[in-house]
Amino acid sequence: MVVDHETPSLENGQTDKEVEENANVLQFMDSMDAYLTLIHSLSSTLRRGWLELASARHSMGASRVNTVLLDHTSHPAATSLLVTQDEGKVDSGKPHFTLCKWASSSNENSLLGEKHSSQDKLHPQLRHRGSTELYEEKTSSENKASREVDDPVQKERSKSLSMFGTLVSPKLRAAQLSFEH
Amino acid sequence: MYGFEAMTFNIHGGYLEAIVRGHRAGLFTAADYNNLCQCETLDDIKMHLSATEYGPYLQNEPSPLHTTTIVEKCTLKLVDEYKHMLCQATEPLSTFLEYITYGHMIDNVVLIVTGTLHERDVQELLEKCHPLGMFDSIATLAVAQNMRELYRLVLVDTPLAPYFSECITSEDLDDMNIEIMRNTLYKAYLEDFYKFCQKLGGATAEIMSDLLAFEADRRAVNITINSIGTELTRDDRRKLYSNFGLLYPYGHEELAVCEDIDQVRGAMEKYPPYQSIFSKLSYGESQMLDKAFYEEEVKRLCLAFEQQFHYGVFFAYMRLREQEIRNLMWISECVAQNQKSRVHDSVVFIF
Repeated sequence: MVVDHETPSLENGQTDKEVEENANVLQFMDSMDAYLTLIHSLSSTLRRGWLELASARHSMGASRVNTVLLDHTSHPAATSLLVTQDEGKVDSGKPHFTLCKWASSSNENSLLGEKHSSQDKLHPQLRHRGSTELYEEKTSSENKASREVDDPVQKERSKSLSMFGTLVSPKLRAAQLSFEH
Repeated sequence: MYGFEAMTFNIHGGYLEAIVRGHRAGLFTAADYNNLCQCETLDDIKMHLSATEYGPYLQNEPSPLHTTTIVEKCTLKLVDEYKHMLCQATEPLSTFLEYITYGHMIDNVVLIVTGTLHERDVQELLEKCHPLGMFDSIATLAVAQNMRELYRLVLVDTPLAPYFSECITSEDLDDMNIEIMRNTLYKAYLEDFYKFCQKLGGATAEIMSDLLAFEADRRAVNITINSIGTELTRDDRRKLYSNFGLLYPYGHEELAVCEDIDQVRGAMEKYPPYQSIFSKLSYGESQMLDKAFYEEEVKRLCLAFEQQFHYGVFFAYMRLREQEIRNLMWISECVAQNQKSRVHDSVVFIF
């Protein structure tokens, strides 16, 4: 019997269609795994944030940290989502998502998104999980961008905390960072 | 004259000292806190508290309970006890008891002004004010546009009026100015309270000097740490420190130029009482600093009860109750958020 190594699907009695379906199922399982991991991470970060907020309230007092002080004036959202179509790519039907927010400087992806949103929107960046193109595009300009966005980012953070006072406990700042993440 | 208080104190203060010592006996012990920490829900906490002096204040609260409800009702008990003592007190004890509440008054003023700046309803703000710091014209604070109006319209007739001399400007009330106003008022209040206690003399002066000096030093450290990375200049920071305390004046000079927590540690470790506090923390960490300060404060407050015939026991009792309420708040939050493993992060045992 001749073994054809170039068509393994035929060797196992599977058609190309079945192989493609199996690949799709595996990709779906991978995505589900990633989703569950992210959900778990989000849940744990939110739990940490709520506890840090309670700790800040314990430290600063209930008169300084309470719902009554929340600002009812309009202000821009801390996070925005940019959805674009990349016309230069072969599979241009896929939308591309970019998160733009004033995040902590330890989150390099968000900084890149911040940098992107302030630059030319005709060159969107692919931000799918596992993509290596994003990391190949990181250059020294990112370091300059990180310093440039740090000051406005800190100012935005301080501004959003100002409803609780200007001299707030580090615990409240930590809670803010947790909710940002 | 110090030493002869035993002969005359009980004439006017004996009954109230006995009352406050009785109240002190009702403070929670470590066993009580351990029981509370075992609770699974806020209703369990309510059930445990129903067997304590807080029972009558919580019994009519419907389920589901909220942590803020528990704190509010427990605070009402403290307020009732305070009002009972105040109405029975004669001078100078009545003035001493009133001094204890001026800190809450300052917090309430800042709460109303800050909330108004952020377009909140005055009625909602009034509901969140501390009951010990209420005064008649507090709602009128919402109409003031700057500090001069704040003083002229409302605060001139309150006990806080003398503390405003350093704050009066025509600058609009924005977040930074409000923060500076808060800390300047509190600084003036602490200094005034300190001078009042010095004038009383005797054991009251000795014990209260220690307690107020600790409070001033703790505020200096908190102002320093909270202002790191903000727009507050070194000069402005220095102006917010009180003009008394163990850190005055050389410690304040060092704290004024600190840029991170390790520099604060370096400045504080030169003072033996605070060296023991900072030795509990690892380098670069400030999360447990509050608990360390609270533990030291509780130790000093409990020592106040070891002497008789002075007013320090009233101040110590009020502060210990407030600490107990803070403990209840933290335990309730940990139970409500299902984070019981963190409950001992901030609970400070009194006994």
